[in-house]
Amino acid sequence: MKRAVAVLLVLVLAALSGCASSAPARQAGRPFDDVRRLTIVVSGESQFAVLAHSAEPGRTFDTLLKWTPYATLLKPIADLVHQAINWLMASDRKTDAAGDLRDVSPPAVVTRAFEETLRASGRFDDVRTAQREPVGEDRRRDDVVVRVTVPAWGLVRVREGDPDLLSAYADVRAEMVALETGTVLWKNDEDVTDTERLPLKSFTADRQLTRQRLVDVLQRAGRRMASELLYARSAGR
Amino acid sequence: MSAPRWRAFVSSALVAMSLAGCSSTVAVDVAYPDANVNRATLASVRPRRVEVRPVADRRPDTTRIGVQPDEKKKPVVTSRPVADIVRDALVTELQRNGHTVVSDHPELVIAADVDEFSFDVVTGRSSAQYVGKAALALAVTDRQSGKTVFARRYVGIKRQTADLEAKHAARDVMDAALARAMHDLATDGELAQAFGGGRSDVQRI
Repeated sequence: MKRAVAVLLVLVLAALSGCASSAPARQAGRPFDDVRRLTIVVSGESQFAVLAHSAEPGRTFDTLLKWTPYATLLKPIADLVHQAINWLMASDRKTDAAGDLRDVSPPAVVTRAFEETLRASGRFDDVRTAQREPVGEDRRRDDVVVRVTVPAWGLVRVREGDPDLLSAYADVRAEMVALETGTVLWKNDEDVTDTERLPLKSFTADRQLTRQRLVDVLQRAGRRMASELLYARSAGR
Repeated sequence: MSAPRWRAFVSSALVAMSLAGCSSTVAVDVAYPDANVNRATLASVRPRRVEVRPVADRRPDTTRIGVQPDEKKKPVVTSRPVADIVRDALVTELQRNGHTVVSDHPELVIAADVDEFSFDVVTGRSSAQYVGKAALALAVTDRQSGKTVFARRYVGIKRQTADLEAKHAARDVMDAALARAMHDLATDGELAQAFGGGRSDVQRI
């Protein structure tokens, strides 16, 4: 009897030790800890958009479809109409909101804030921005580049209500690459949203305000990306 | 177990189950996981003895952090007090960066207020967009001089599109919003300088 209890105890302990949560192994150093010189390269296209994430008019279509015997047949058509109507409405809002933004280059604004934050951190000997990938002598000197893109920016509905509230936003991507090997040392995607929330009318009625909010969110995106890069870099005191 | 005990056990279990089903709120376990905390700019100065005061919860609505986007519209709450979640995150970040959190004889005192800790949901046709926001105001006081040597507000926002039925989207955006605020704090060179006594002995790391 005692032997059986002992065996049982051993089995239970073994099972428990297998289940015990162990602390995850921490990286001693990251592959870019010794990088002291950075070249930031502005790249890619930026799409301006006003994102509404609206349930209408599709929800109304669904209610109407419940009353017809052809609901299954008509559902795909209703989905397409829903998308088309929202696309047209978004196009109108986009035209209204993006009036005076032709001279704003989202990657350039993001990159400037990114560069300034990294330089102020004092953790790199040299940080500079280039409009294209380094070639020739520059390529030999710049062993690491960070490619920054802003695939999307604009206004996004962040709160439902009467009126709905919108914020400026920027989706930013950064990728640190070792030029010699092509190895990706670090990459990060950031969805950045402005802290201010305003009705759409405020944005369409006041172009200067819209411009300011959009530029602010792009700068915030640059600082955020820099924070994440600095945070990912091991301090190693 | 005797028959009366069995009956009592079964009826208690049934009551507990029905109460759980009828709960008027949904609790989410928002946290700042210790495993993801790095040594950052705050580790670039000499280690300090720091007292972290209880975090003040100054949100306009402390009864919930959001509302479920389904028809029931149940309020969503955190399973632990918001002030505790934020204080724990602060303590974890300070300790990982080499500083000692103490309750007596500190060199520096940190006071923090949470003024926003909530999420909004915008429901689309087949998906929902969650936006989580965490904002805290931080003040660092030098114990000896009594002077506030640093004050700043940190705001973390996370935006994420999820299925309408997604179970963890609220927790995920709040975790990420808190983490972003903490990362901004941990990489803030001016905060590090305030920790280092305002001297320019911040090590190049």
